[in-house]
Amino acid sequence: MQVFIQTLVNGLVTGCLYALIALGYTMVYGVLKLLNFAHGDVYMVGAFIGYFVIQWFGGPNHLSIPVPLLIVLMLVISGLGTGLLGVAIERFAYRPLRDAPRIAPLITALGVSFVLENTVLLLFGGFVRSYNTTDFISDTNGIHIAGAHIDSVEIMIFVLTGVLCWVLLQIVNKTTLGKSMRAVASDREAAEMLGINVDRTIALTFFIGSVMAGVAGVMSGLEFQSISATIGFLAGLKAFTAAVVGGIGSVTGAMVGGIFIGLCEAFSLSYISEKYSDLIVFGILIVTMLVRPTGIFGRRALQKV
Amino acid sequence: MPQIGVDEWVAQSGERREQGTGLGRALATLDARFGWWPRLALAAAVGLVFGLSTGNVNLLTVGFTCLLYAILSLGLNIAAGWSGLLDLGYIAFVGFGAYGYAIFSSSALGTGGSGGAHLAAFESIPIVVIAAGLVGVVIGLIALRLEGDYLAIVTLFVGQAFFEVVNNVDPGTLGGVNGIFSIDSLHGLSGNVSTPRGYYLVALIIIVGLAAVLHLLDTSRTGRAWRALRDDPLAASAMTIPVNKLKVMAFSFSAAIGALGGTLFAAQTSSVFPTNFTENILILIFACLVLGGAGSIAGAIAGGIIVWALEQMLGSPTDAGYLFYGLILLTLFLKIRPWWKLGAVLAGIVVFGFLAHAIVGAISSSATAGHPGSTGWIGSAVKDWVIVPSDPIGYGNILFILVICLVLALVRLQGTARLVLVVPTVYLAACCWESRLIVNPAITTQIMLGVILIVTMAARPNGLLGSRRVEML
Amino acid sequence: MSDTAPAKPPLLELDKLSLSFGGLRALTELDLQVSEGEIVSVIGPNGAGKTSVFNVITGVYKPTSGDVRFAGQSIAGKRQFQITRLGIARTFQSLRLFQNMTVKENVKAATYGHTKASPPESILRLPRARREEREVDALAEEVLSFFGERLRGYRWNQPAYVLSYANRRRLEIARALATRPRLLLLDEPAAGMNPNETLEVTEVIGRLRDELGLAILVIEHDMHVVEGISDRVVALDHGIKITEGAFDAVATHPAVVEAYLGRDPEALAEA
Repeated sequence: MQVFIQTLVNGLVTGCLYALIALGYTMVYGVLKLLNFAHGDVYMVGAFIGYFVIQWFGGPNHLSIPVPLLIVLMLVISGLGTGLLGVAIERFAYRPLRDAPRIAPLITALGVSFVLENTVLLLFGGFVRSYNTTDFISDTNGIHIAGAHIDSVEIMIFVLTGVLCWVLLQIVNKTTLGKSMRAVASDREAAEMLGINVDRTIALTFFIGSVMAGVAGVMSGLEFQSISATIGFLAGLKAFTAAVVGGIGSVTGAMVGGIFIGLCEAFSLSYISEKYSDLIVFGILIVTMLVRPTGIFGRRALQKV
Repeated sequence: MPQIGVDEWVAQSGERREQGTGLGRALATLDARFGWWPRLALAAAVGLVFGLSTGNVNLLTVGFTCLLYAILSLGLNIAAGWSGLLDLGYIAFVGFGAYGYAIFSSSALGTGGSGGAHLAAFESIPIVVIAAGLVGVVIGLIALRLEGDYLAIVTLFVGQAFFEVVNNVDPGTLGGVNGIFSIDSLHGLSGNVSTPRGYYLVALIIIVGLAAVLHLLDTSRTGRAWRALRDDPLAASAMTIPVNKLKVMAFSFSAAIGALGGTLFAAQTSSVFPTNFTENILILIFACLVLGGAGSIAGAIAGGIIVWALEQMLGSPTDAGYLFYGLILLTLFLKIRPWWKLGAVLAGIVVFGFLAHAIVGAISSSATAGHPGSTGWIGSAVKDWVIVPSDPIGYGNILFILVICLVLALVRLQGTARLVLVVPTVYLAACCWESRLIVNPAITTQIMLGVILIVTMAARPNGLLGSRRVEML
Repeated sequence: MSDTAPAKPPLLELDKLSLSFGGLRALTELDLQVSEGEIVSVIGPNGAGKTSVFNVITGVYKPTSGDVRFAGQSIAGKRQFQITRLGIARTFQSLRLFQNMTVKENVKAATYGHTKASPPESILRLPRARREEREVDALAEEVLSFFGERLRGYRWNQPAYVLSYANRRRLEIARALATRPRLLLLDEPAAGMNPNETLEVTEVIGRLRDELGLAILVIEHDMHVVEGISDRVVALDHGIKITEGAFDAVATHPAVVEAYLGRDPEALAEA
């Protein structure tokens, strides 16, 4: 029973992180119909920024500022950094390709992913770095449920993800920006003709999505401690799966999909085998695509014939 | 009644404007003047002369790899270029072919490193290729349920799944992480291909044959149907075209050709590892295709050659230097007009550099004590021009970021400000190159490849040799 | 004059055809016939369900209930390309040409259904493949010549996206003709055309019936065209047939006028 609860907790933790990354994928796909392969690497950059913030303030063992302040700074700086990175990528790499055949931005996205990953490799080396979270946040506090342990970092992840998701839903459903995003996602030309500043809407979409990825990066570093230049790819792929299973283009879908994939991964790690857990996750994707091609919350785009 | 000569000329003004002047127009005229078959024959002749005349083993191996990538991108072209099916799992078919050949033509099926099937090439290759075609049919049938981007997503994961399978499943036969090695070279009847020249010629024959076959297919009803299906599947279906059957056919052909390339790869390198078939390679193949211009046979081949040649040049410091400086000079040539401005900028860069080097050198001798990374005559030429401190790593890193910011700023500026900013940007880029980038050629290669992809797509979204397309959104 | 010949079944027959999208009733119990060599026009305000009729006939949508019969055979639920091969061809309200293919290739692509060469045959250029290519080429030229000088000569090798709007509409029709249909469905063939072009379209439709013996079902808003070509007119509104008959009768029918222009109580009371 304890294993079950612990697996559940682990699944929810990774699920939250996948959900945050998946939101970026899904929002960008919604407004640009672009599969932004570079998004996973933005997450990776976020993790690195968080790492360097820790080093800046003395490293995990000699922090010069209190831990809560450190965490806030990490989140804010990383979020802003990745947000700006996302906006820059959109501005310089994707904007020239707004009207190009669909395959062109895909290649550009792959190119951007290449550049990001290898720039980090070049600047900071390929070896694994560690947040050493346990040096400054004790992992024995937290709560116990039925023998399973949820430590403070994990609680923070739950809370933060919940808050961010709620905020995002408010933005999308209740603000003008959200309406603009939905309009651009529906029909970009028409939105432009109705006076919506499409360039700014798209830039803000990228910003929000990248901030979420950056925050996920920091929290991932805090929870799993080890980071390297290549963590972006696999995490990005799984978050991508989550976005698709949930219904790409749907914000609720990304959230639900993320949790779902996180849980699937945790349970197959626990109960089946580590070797096959990735394959199982991908298998779930294939099955979902066959049974419900547009994902759980996705809507089939109706074509006027 | 339309007037002879006049109306046609007017009607074609749009096409003329698109071709532009200079190189674009010259290429297009050449295009129209020579038929397809003479051009193929010419390309084949060039390839043959190259293969027979050079004794340089390195060159021949590079040439083989170029042709191999060309073969792979031709295969991808059928699905992605002609039929508009975004098959991001193509690498799985290539791997299937490679592993298939590896299993049948080595000791993999035996025990303890001996025995095994050791089939001759003309036995194992057809088996593998046909099997791949069948797998392609299965994937195609699955893909029928999916549209556009969903297809891309699912196929991407199929590709990843392949990697997971050969990495984790059944290490006894498939070799697991260590792969399979000691694979037989191509052999059969009494012949044996084991030299670099031999493999190059085999690849050349295959690609010429493949190009011919695909051209014949492209100009037939099947080719027309594929292109119709790419432009508008609904309309194609309304015009008697069995869209689903053709999609499956496209996948099947694509898979078969990919597998063929895979077998060649396995035979030439004598070993296969799971890491040979990761997304990096897939990106390369797509780059080949899109760079050259998806949908055209010549484009696919050209893309394959360009991408691999780039990879190669970036591997050796001297050659990489040619590439780096050459690309910069080329960009400046193409972008700065009139000539006197170009001359001024070039002169400015040179003078700026020497001045900076002299000033910094006077201030601190350790700041210029390092050696430029380039070897050969480039290295000696720039020794007194670039600033390379005795500890170049951190300096190089900072410069790298600085150069990126400068380049992004350049994109936004116009006119004189832009020309002025070019001078320090190019100089600092050269310093960064010499002190940092060239030292890590593997990583630099990837970065440059990524940059080239981004820039090419921004400048010519239809690929270098592609023609203008109108997409239905 | 007494009719001694036995009545032939109509070429196309819609029998109590209904089509719903969830709660939206696009078509309700529609009866419609088109006989050989007949031109029937379908009119009605926008949203009346006219294009839905085409879509059901050609197999884009499956009918919710009712039947579609072509030459006596039920085709409801068949796939699009199967229906086209039986002899029904259509054009689209918003043009759907193969933009990146040349004019001639657009037409040739539509001949896929009645050629048989397999890929190996095509690759090896076996006699049957070569013969079919020649026939297809000749058919394309013949079909394109139907429009006189408009789509002739140098136009054959131009990509479809450079064509003018009127030429694109003509190419759509030519492409449909290449499938060798017995029944042609034209969806707003005169949309967006100036008076000269409209006149030309009217003539072309007449010639299609007279020279090629086609039965034609036309959706059209321009009443001049409808008047000029129709043997019979069918009026739809909200997915229901409100009346059918000769042009004059239908055009002045009060329910039709109401559907287009709104209610006039006096006229209704008189009818």
